Amino acid sequence: MSSNAQDTRMDSCPVAGEEVDLGHASLMDPGIHAHPNAFYWAMRHEQPVYYDEGLDMWLVSRYEDLQTVLADPITFSVEAGYAEQYAKGFIDEFKAILERDGGGFFPDAIMTDPPYHTRIRKLMEGAFTAHRVKALEPDIAQVVSELIDEFADKGAADGVQDFAVPMTIRIICAQLGLTDFDPDKIQRWSLAVTSQIGRMQDREQMRENAREICDLQNYLIANIRAREETPRDDLLSDMIHARAEDEENPTLTFKEVVSLARALLIAGNETTATALGNLLYILATQPELADAVYDNLDDDRYMTRFVEELLRLEPPVRGLSRMTTKEVELGGVTLPKGAHMLNLYASGNDDETVFECPRKFDVERPNIVRHVAFGSGVHRCVGLSLARMEIKVAAREFVRRLKDLKLEIALEDIRYLPTVATRSMASLPLSFSKR
Amino acid sequence: MPTITVTFIQRDGSEVVIDDAVTGISLMETARTKDVDGIIGECGGSCACATCHVYVEPDWQAVLGEPDVLEEMTLEGVSHIVQDNSRLGCQVLLSEAMDGLRVVVAPPQ
Repeated sequence: MSSNAQDTRMDSCPVAGEEVDLGHASLMDPGIHAHPNAFYWAMRHEQPVYYDEGLDMWLVSRYEDLQTVLADPITFSVEAGYAEQYAKGFIDEFKAILERDGGGFFPDAIMTDPPYHTRIRKLMEGAFTAHRVKALEPDIAQVVSELIDEFADKGAADGVQDFAVPMTIRIICAQLGLTDFDPDKIQRWSLAVTSQIGRMQDREQMRENAREICDLQNYLIANIRAREETPRDDLLSDMIHARAEDEENPTLTFKEVVSLARALLIAGNETTATALGNLLYILATQPELADAVYDNLDDDRYMTRFVEELLRLEPPVRGLSRMTTKEVELGGVTLPKGAHMLNLYASGNDDETVFECPRKFDVERPNIVRHVAFGSGVHRCVGLSLARMEIKVAAREFVRRLKDLKLEIALEDIRYLPTVATRSMASLPLSFSKR
Repeated sequence: MPTITVTFIQRDGSEVVIDDAVTGISLMETARTKDVDGIIGECGGSCACATCHVYVEPDWQAVLGEPDVLEEMTLEGVSHIVQDNSRLGCQVLLSEAMDGLRVVVAPPQ
């Protein structure tokens, strides 16, 4: 690392951690995987578009380069990048298992390129507008309150297993209209699905994950079939019967509905649970922040900005993949056609040229909303309003009812799920007392 | 739902008059159905992208009211083109009181 680069860190801001010598560093390295910010920093300063040998991918680390990629979904294809990443190394066997036992292999309809993607997006985006989500706030508050009731008297709970995971599962299942769900199964299904883009499963794990996904698909297919004849007042029925009149194919096909239901149940659910885990982590490790939330519980402006700053500082999604469809210059590097890339949203949010003093939690940051935790452009997270609302209500109700929140585990003992797609804690033991 | 008339003044000064705008639908969605130039609505109404930014004509500001805290925060992301009468079209649900509404499409970000 050059001395020049080190000088720029000599200020009063919290820094990312120990300096990293890029060398052959990889996001697959367990140490970097658990605490990647110093690695992000080194990449942004030394090789902003960095070839990660371990992953065989180009890592995009600077905010500006991420914006370039996100603004051009044709040159930087989600469809090709996703297909390359999906069940990497095992895709043929994975497909065969799903076709045999899981009702079929249903490619992710949302992980595609325009113009196909434009139609899918149009049929989906009515579900989670900010207006619709606002109406869900009382229901979400009810779920949060019930969960807190279950452990408030015990003085201890697991922030991930007892709160974040069950909360998001209950909320998305209620929206989809899945009343008979088994939360343990949904959690297993979630991990199985996200492992397919996580790059850290071996063959035995892939086969086990494929079995879980078959189970998930069979469950969804039964629920979809039941609504094809008789629609109900739920999101699953809305998708089956959604129409975009100006499109040549104005409705979603059966395959598309299965893939989208799977995406909503799993992808949105798992990432939101990760965000809620991060919320509790930060409240437990920065008590002054928990105090500030308590002082501002009924200040919607504060709470709204608090959520956004949390998403900036600790984005649940580390990075999602894309692939170049032609040779292109990016961040001083010429990427060949077919270059497989990982867009590091977490590094973009940490870019000190855009967010001053980036490791500091600052709700008054003037450009908070420019963070890329939800991506940007045509693939921006379709469920972001629901995620924002869930985090806000969780923060408000947790702090309203509980105090003295502490980690019951050493920082270095926190384990992260084995995936390069998200930064998710497996478990978060906490203690607290009732207010 | 009853319908009303709303007018979008595009960046080149030309007007798009929509005389069958449905109340209860957002200003952004209304503009998208008639391909108003410059109203993209990229995030689909999540109040996140500010690509449905309009300037409300002074006579109508009181009727539409002020942005809420979320909308205000999203507008901060495009602060270089924000004015006192800025609103995001996705956050304005049309009502009968808005019959005759006129808004100017904001420049690209």
